[in-house]
This record gives sequence, structure tokens and C-alpha cells, in this order.
Amino acid sequence: MDKIELLQKLTGIQTIESVMDLLRVDRRMAIYYLHRLRKEGYVKTKRQSNNRRVYTISVDNKLGGKSYYEIINRYSPIKVSTPSVYRIYGKEPSLEEAIIHAIKTKSLRTILASLALFKRINNWTELYRLAKENQIARQVGALYDLAHRIMKIRRMSKTFRNNALPQKKDKFKYIIERLKSKDFMIIEKTWRVYLPFNEMDLEEYQ
Amino acid sequence: MISIDQQQKLLLSVARRLTKKITVYAVGGTAMMFLGFKDATLDIDLVFESEKDREIFQKAITSLGYLEMDALKVYGIKRNAPKMFKLDDERFDLFVVEVIDFIFSENMQKRAEQIHQFENTLILKIANPHDIILMKCATDRIKDKDDAQKIINSTKINWDIIIDEAKKQISLGKDRAAFDLGCFLEDLKTKMKLDIPKEVLKKLFLMVGKQAKERRKK
Repeated sequence: MDKIELLQKLTGIQTIESVMDLLRVDRRMAIYYLHRLRKEGYVKTKRQSNNRRVYTISVDNKLGGKSYYEIINRYSPIKVSTPSVYRIYGKEPSLEEAIIHAIKTKSLRTILASLALFKRINNWTELYRLAKENQIARQVGALYDLAHRIMKIRRMSKTFRNNALPQKKDKFKYIIERLKSKDFMIIEKTWRVYLPFNEMDLEEYQ
Repeated sequence: MISIDQQQKLLLSVARRLTKKITVYAVGGTAMMFLGFKDATLDIDLVFESEKDREIFQKAITSLGYLEMDALKVYGIKRNAPKMFKLDDERFDLFVVEVIDFIFSENMQKRAEQIHQFENTLILKIANPHDIILMKCATDRIKDKDDAQKIINSTKINWDIIIDEAKKQISLGKDRAAFDLGCFLEDLKTKMKLDIPKEVLKKLFLMVGKQAKERRKK
């Protein structure tokens, strides 16, 4: 069987039985096909608690690189699936970049999961630079204050806060269009940013 | 031929030499490799948003030793042929917005959802499989039909996207779009026995008929 055809049939999460079913082959041939794909770098293997092997087969495994979602999932108790492919090669994406990327996705769960990254931020200068570049410094500030409410996190640098805080003339901004908070209105007023979360949404952090 | 690993390394070395952050769209074989339809390609087809971006990229690859070659040899006398650069077996085909008789439209750019970033400077967006078929129709070299066949056989094609894009191309001034696409798909259906719905060809050739009538009126 052609390697590409094999890959297309098996892309996803598989067990040896599902490979046998999909390819209609016996166990020995299924192991051989998996071996062929693994050799090319398409297969990642994990073991379940009962020691059974689960194979993640994907072109992404071969392509390598890192995704922002991998970083979010590594540090956050809230896990997100990968809704879109954004892979980075040749450098290790930073936590600061991951926060900015999460806000830019405008996805509720991704932003929620990324709150945990504030625990580990120590390069506030870089975070401010990126936030300013993407015109979301106030959003970052508001989310930081929110994260500070629900978990123990490092203090934000004064420079960041002073530079990012809004002026009186600034209009309110949304993080996710038309989503406002009922429970965090003080933070919203401080940053002139509507937060997309209520107290209940943050239960997973408590 | 260039494999996935070689391509990654090459794009990384190009990214390291770029003087400015640029966004590029991968079409053709490169896009197919990123989408898992192919594991090697003859050339790296890229579409740039502006001539300036292409120049920056061009500088980076020439500093790697790539030499400009004549596009006539591969594309013949076609409008909007790319700038081509070659080093050994590897070749870059660099287009700016237009790929022969097709425009890499805004809708196509939006559909390119998969993003691969090399270092901080090179953002590579991968064209949607539907748009790769359209681009294959535009370039229409010998291997392009084989590639289109691979895509059609291995993914579910929403033919409405292809028909809508043909309409869009006509509205953008690319009058031949429906005709070229119709002929390309008809070839795939008759010569390569691909499962292309008759209604798709009918709709495309109806569009061509309409265009002809409008022209006669003028």
C-alpha cells in the first residue's frame, strides 16, 4: 500500500485493533504498516493506564515544530484541542507569544486556558511589546487582573500597568465580540475592556 | 525532488536570511506536502502579496546560491508566469498575487487556514485543497493533473467552493477562469476517470456560455 494512502486512511488516534479494522489486515500486517509510518516520523505512541498502546498518526508529527496550543496545554489545567494549525519552526515559542496568540483567536476556551500562563510570565517587557504591536495591551492587562483574582500569580510589572492602563477618552473594547461580564465589572471599568467570563466560567481553576 | 525534511530545512534557512517579516501562500506541491497529500515535490510554488515581499524573498534565496532561470522553459508563453530560481534539484516558483490566469483572491487567502511560521520572519499559509486544484488548473503542467487527481481522490471536495471561486475569478476580470477550469476538470473526468459530478461541468460551461452571450451583445 502507498505510504500517502496509508497515512490518509490512518490519520487520527488509533489502536492496533482500529488499524486492523481500517486496513482490513491481520495483526502482523497492521504492526508492519505502523512500523513503516513510524520510520517516516508520522507516528507518536502513548500508553494508556492499562498499558495498551495508542498511536497518534498525523503529518504534523513528521513536520515537527511547536504549536501555541501545545504550550497552553502544557501549563494550563484547562486543556484545549487544536482548532487550527499554527506551527512554529526554528525557535521555541514563548509563553508571552502564546498569551497574545490565545487572545487573538477570540476563542473562549483558548483564552480561558491561557489565563494559567500568567503564572509563569516573567518577561513583562516582551509581553508589553507584543501586546502593543497587536493593539491588545488593555486586554492583556484585564485578563491578568482576572487571573490574579482566581489564582496565585506573579505581580505584573509597574511599567506594563502604567503604560497599558487606558486614558479617559479610550472607548471600551471587547475581547470576544458582544460578550460582557456580570461579575468582574470593576476590572472591566479599570481597563475599559469587556471580559468574556463570569465567575462560573472560572470554576475549573478552583 | 525535495522531501518534507529538506523543505523544512530550506525554508528555515531562507527565514534566517529574510530582512523583514513576510507572509507567503504555499500553493501546489508544497501545500500538498503540508497537507499530507504528497511526500516530495519538484518545486516550491509560492504566492506573495506584493512585489516588494517577493524581492525580499528573492534576495534571501539568491544569497543561498539559487540562480534565476527562464520561466519560458517550464510555463511556455503564459501571462503572469513566476520568477523561477534553481539550485541543483530544488526550484522555487515565485508568483505575486496572480498565478497565470488566476488571481489568488481574498477568499482564497481566507481559506488558507493552516499556518506555519519559520523563525520570526516567514509566515507560510497553506492554500486550501480546493484552491490548490484551481491553481493546478492555472499552471496546467503535465504533473499538475496527477496532483489534482491525488487531491480529488483523497479528500471530500465541496464543488460549490470551486464553482463560486470560478465566478469570483470572472468578476475579478479573469474571463478564462470558468473555461479553463471546465476543460481541466473534463480532462480529469474523461482521461483519468475521476469522479467529477456532471452538474459541476455543466455549471461551468453554462457560465462560459453566458460570458459568450454577453460578449456578443457588446
